[in-house]
Amino acid sequence: MLWRIDPAGDEPLYAQLAAQAHIAAARNELRPGDRLPAARELADSLDLNVHTVLKAYQQLRDEGLIELRRGRGAVVTARAATDMSPVQKALVALVDAARSANISTETLTVLLKEAMSR
Amino acid sequence: MTTHSWRAPARKTALWSTLAALGVLAVTSAIVWTWRNDLPDPLATHWGGRSSVPDDFMSLDLLLFSTALMVVLFCGLFGAIAWFWGATAATRRMVAASTVWTGGLGGALLLLTAGSQRGLQDAHQATVRGWAVTAAIVVPLVPAIAAALLVPGDPHEPAGGPVAADAPRLGLTGDERAVWIRRADGGPGLVVGGIAVVVTTLLAVLLRQWALLVVPVLLVVLFTTMFAFTVRVDATGLTVRSLVGWPGTHVPADEVQRASVTEVNAVRQFGGWGWRLGRGGRVGVVLRSGTGLLVERSGGRSLVVTVDDAVTGAALLNTLADRTRN
Repeated sequence: MLWRIDPAGDEPLYAQLAAQAHIAAARNELRPGDRLPAARELADSLDLNVHTVLKAYQQLRDEGLIELRRGRGAVVTARAATDMSPVQKALVALVDAARSANISTETLTVLLKEAMSR
Repeated sequence: MTTHSWRAPARKTALWSTLAALGVLAVTSAIVWTWRNDLPDPLATHWGGRSSVPDDFMSLDLLLFSTALMVVLFCGLFGAIAWFWGATAATRRMVAASTVWTGGLGGALLLLTAGSQRGLQDAHQATVRGWAVTAAIVVPLVPAIAAALLVPGDPHEPAGGPVAADAPRLGLTGDERAVWIRRADGGPGLVVGGIAVVVTTLLAVLLRQWALLVVPVLLVVLFTTMFAFTVRVDATGLTVRSLVGWPGTHVPADEVQRASVTEVNAVRQFGGWGWRLGRGGRVGVVLRSGTGLLVERSGGRSLVVTVDDAVTGAALLNTLADRTRN
C-alpha cells in the first residue's frame, strides 16, 4: 500500500500514518492477515524516527485495526474487515450537507471531533 | 543498435569464466590422462538406476571428448547469455557462476569416473557411490559462488534526460514524502517447485541413492528464496528483495527513465517463474502472469516485477525520480 506523509501538514506525523492505514482498510487494500511493513523499514523509507511509526502502530492497535505480535510484526485484524460502506455513505451525505451550508473543512472537522468526543 | 556500457564487462565476464571452466577441464583431463595405463578399456561411464552395475561403456578418448564437448557447449550457451543479455550485474554473476560450475562438474565427473576404476582389470566391476556423485554436484558450487562474487556490481549510472513525460505520476506536494510497499508472492511457480521437489525426492528414495537427496534440498533452498518478494518504492528508488533477504536488486531513482504498467506472460516472455532473464536482458521477478511493474533504466536495462497495484508503484516511482532531476 501507499503511505504518504506531509511534514508541513497540521496533523501530527503519526496520526497521518494511522489515517493512511484506516483509508487502506476501508478501500480493502489492507485485508485481515496482511502484515504492515516493519516499523524500521517504514521509518527509513519516509525519513522518520522509528518511534513515530511505532506510535502510529500503537494507535492502530488501540483502535483494533492491527495486532502487534512479537516476531510477526503488525498484523491486520479481522475487525479491519468491518463494513465501512455505511460510514462512507454518511460521509458523502455529510460533505454534501456541509458544502450546501457553506461550512469550511476546518469548521466541519471541529464539529466532527466534538460529535465524536460526546 | 546503440552500444551500451555494459557490453565490455559482460564480454569480460563471459571470457574469464569460460577460461576458468576450460582450465579446470584441461587440468582434470591431464590428470586422468596420466592414469591411462591403470585404467580398463573401455571404461564404465554410466550406472543403471537401482543397481550399482555399470550399463554403458566408452574408451578414455571418447570420455574425455564427450565431457569436453558438454562443457564447451554449456560455456558457449552461458557465454552467449552474458554477451547478448548481460546488461545487469546480477545476470553476469549468474553466468560466471554457471560457467565455472559446469567446468567444475565436468572435471569432477571425469575424476570420479576414471578415479573409481584405477587398477581394475574389467570395467564391469566398477562401482560408483552416491555420495561421490553428490560431491561432484556440490563441491563445484564453492568456486561458482566465488566467481559470482568476483563480478563487480553495476556502476552508478544516472539517466541523462528527464523521466518520460507520458508515464504516470502521483500528485505529491513539494514537502510530501511517500513510500509504496507491496508483497509479490504465490503463483504457479510454487506448484511447479513443489512437484519438482516431490519427484526428485521420490527418485532418490526409489533408487535408494540417499546422497541424491541433496538435489531436493537444493531445490527447496532455491524455491524458498524465489517465491515471495517485497517490492518497495521510496525516495531512494525501487527495491525488490526476497523475503529471506536474497536475492534482491535496487534501481536508484536517478537511473529511472520510465516506470509503467505492463502485461506479463510468464512462460512466453520469461520461460517460467522466479528470478528470470527475458529477451534483451530484461530481468523479471515473475511470480504470475498478468499486470506487472516495468522499470526502464539507464544503460538500456529494464526490470519487470509482477506485483498487484503496479499503477500506484509506477506513478510514485516516476514522481520520486522527477525529484532527482532538479
